[in-house]
Amino acid sequence: MIWIEILSKHRDVAGRFRVDAAEISIGRGYDNHVILDDPYVAARHVRIFRDGDGRLVAEDLGSANGLYLDRGKSRKPQLVLDGTKPIRIGQTLLRVRDAGHAVEPERLAGSERSALPIIAAIGLGAVLLAINAMLVWFAQVSEPHASDYLVPTLTMIGIVVAWVGVWALLARLFSGRSHFLRHLLIAQAGLLAFFVYSELAQIASFALTWTTVFSYGYAVSWVVLAVICFLHLREVGRSHTVVKGIVVGVLLVVAIAVQSLQRSEAFANSGRPNVSHVLLPPSLRLAPLRTEQAFIDNVASLKARLDADRAELKPAGVER
Amino acid sequence: MVALCSAGAAGLSSWAAAQGLPGAEAVYASAPPRLLQIRTLVADAGRQTSTGSGFLVSADGLAITNYHVVSDAALEPKTYRLEYTGADGTQGGVTLLAVDLPNDLALVRVDKQDAPFFAFDKAALDGTLPKGERLYSLGNPLDLGFTIIEGTYNGLVEHSYNDHIHFTGALNPGMSGGPAVNAQGQVVGVNVATRRGGQLISFLVPARFASTLLARGKDAKPAPGDLRKDVIAQLASWRGALYKSLADEGFRDRVFGSYQAPETRAAWFECWASTNASASPKPRASINSTSCKAEASVYVASDLNTGTVEVNHSYTKSIDLNQFQFATVLTQLAQPRLAMGGSFRKWYTPQHCREDFVGVTAAADHPPLRVMWCAQGYREFDGLYDVALVAVTQDRADEALVSRLSLQAIAYDDALRLGRSFLERLQVAR
Repeated sequence: MIWIEILSKHRDVAGRFRVDAAEISIGRGYDNHVILDDPYVAARHVRIFRDGDGRLVAEDLGSANGLYLDRGKSRKPQLVLDGTKPIRIGQTLLRVRDAGHAVEPERLAGSERSALPIIAAIGLGAVLLAINAMLVWFAQVSEPHASDYLVPTLTMIGIVVAWVGVWALLARLFSGRSHFLRHLLIAQAGLLAFFVYSELAQIASFALTWTTVFSYGYAVSWVVLAVICFLHLREVGRSHTVVKGIVVGVLLVVAIAVQSLQRSEAFANSGRPNVSHVLLPPSLRLAPLRTEQAFIDNVASLKARLDADRAELKPAGVER
Repeated sequence: MVALCSAGAAGLSSWAAAQGLPGAEAVYASAPPRLLQIRTLVADAGRQTSTGSGFLVSADGLAITNYHVVSDAALEPKTYRLEYTGADGTQGGVTLLAVDLPNDLALVRVDKQDAPFFAFDKAALDGTLPKGERLYSLGNPLDLGFTIIEGTYNGLVEHSYNDHIHFTGALNPGMSGGPAVNAQGQVVGVNVATRRGGQLISFLVPARFASTLLARGKDAKPAPGDLRKDVIAQLASWRGALYKSLADEGFRDRVFGSYQAPETRAAWFECWASTNASASPKPRASINSTSCKAEASVYVASDLNTGTVEVNHSYTKSIDLNQFQFATVLTQLAQPRLAMGGSFRKWYTPQHCREDFVGVTAAADHPPLRVMWCAQGYREFDGLYDVALVAVTQDRADEALVSRLSLQAIAYDDALRLGRSFLERLQVAR
């Protein structure tokens, strides 16, 4: 007993035929065991039989368009079939399996399996909402209003749900399963990474006086976005991960390059660095106090920088 | 004395004439051959871009006007040229001889020979003019025609680094560079500016600066480009003198809550206080600020005014904010802002900042500070910079002093010196 499976473009089984004959012929004609309505398939295109070793073999019956293995480019007169890789005739993908083909073990449908991601999603969501509320609270220096908390919280929830919804829809379209929970976890983890970085950068810029950490925040945001996009894409379909990784990587490099260019041009236009000088409670200070002399020496060294800028920017013909 | 006596018998009008106290009509009567409108023209188009006034101070055609009337021609001699129109209808070219940037004056030569001219008032040169003396300001406002305006001498402006006469009269654009004369037609000052938002509050450059410029510049024969260099040199040396004077006058300590901080002793600063105590909704941190500002900014070019000096202290105390919220208030207060007196692309180099925690010894008297220092240079003025220094005390979580020192157009070493003494004077109040 042999099963012939017609596969869709996304490798879903579109049709499955059971054939009990020792030799099976496939083609467009009505004298075949399996009939394909593909105009690129010959009337009698291919035959499948067992060779001396008992393996299933496909043989081209002299068709014009030939026989190929999966996406292969080279035409084959004969192919030994393993039941995993499909063959291609005309524009149709076929998979041939005999009754003894081994299948994957049964998946568990129990509640303990799905409980963990749900707990994780709820936990991450709670952490995100808490961080968001805390940030609003710390920035609250005038009369508190409920809307100060509600609006950013609802905005964040709305954006996350919309984002996850789009990915779940894409996953449903391309792989048949939406995996909403997985996409939600990915988005939450990305947002958490972004929050943690921006808070740590603020603290570092104050406590350690690492002011540059803060000014490259945009690059980190892009990296986080790229990583979560890659993970989402991987969830949509497990194939082509390398290609997806390369595409996301290239887009990431382009985005960072464009924004760096835009920032440097804005700086050249305005002369104002786009950095705010953050103050936090004094108890968070980690860097030691510098002596006044050391600070004055440090700012004195700025003069050379300003003079270099001046030499560069001064119009060539000063004498007008 | 004889003339005075005989005039007494001749009745009021001739008495006044003999006393040399005629009205505006008599003052104006002799003015037209000495009074000029000075126009800046685009050299290629031959059309005026701005107008001002001027007046002859010698028989061979030397005239005084404001620097800001002729600044385009001084800085860009290839693009602009100057012309005059006399109040008597004469016209001709104008050659720029010398400028006095800090006092906004320029000396020019017009092609006139044996012309009548204005003399300077001796009392004005000596600075002994009585308050309330009637002055007449002459010029061509808004290119509408030559005009005479009556007003009053009100002494020198207080809280001003450069001497300016406070003239109560209506000066208008276009009159800049014209003379303000006493009843005898002698020059007391040069029209220069008016205070927007005030009523009839106008300013004159004292005649002695014009007289000095005349003596210095009458034989000058500057090549094109010399004046530009001279403007830059004058700006640098004037700023150097100003900051030296600021350092020499020194600072006095003033208590702000738990801290004491420096305030300048220089009289040319004007200080104002502000508080948010009566703000609504009720503030959650009290902020009491004192700001001392020297309006020592000077007109350098039509698109650049610079030179303000400001010292600002804000004592802030949390009312019901937690540490992080209070730090947010301080963040908003402490951003170092460098004001620009002109467009960045033309005049300034990019701003660069440094910030750090600084502990001034001895630690018992000096609170730890978070100090931010931002600076920018001037593209064309070697050796001049704008500097903003902000220090925030770091010894307590619920109160702080945010002190700010803004220094425009300063030599870098002067800024370092002033900045250092400023930081050293930020102390814990005893």
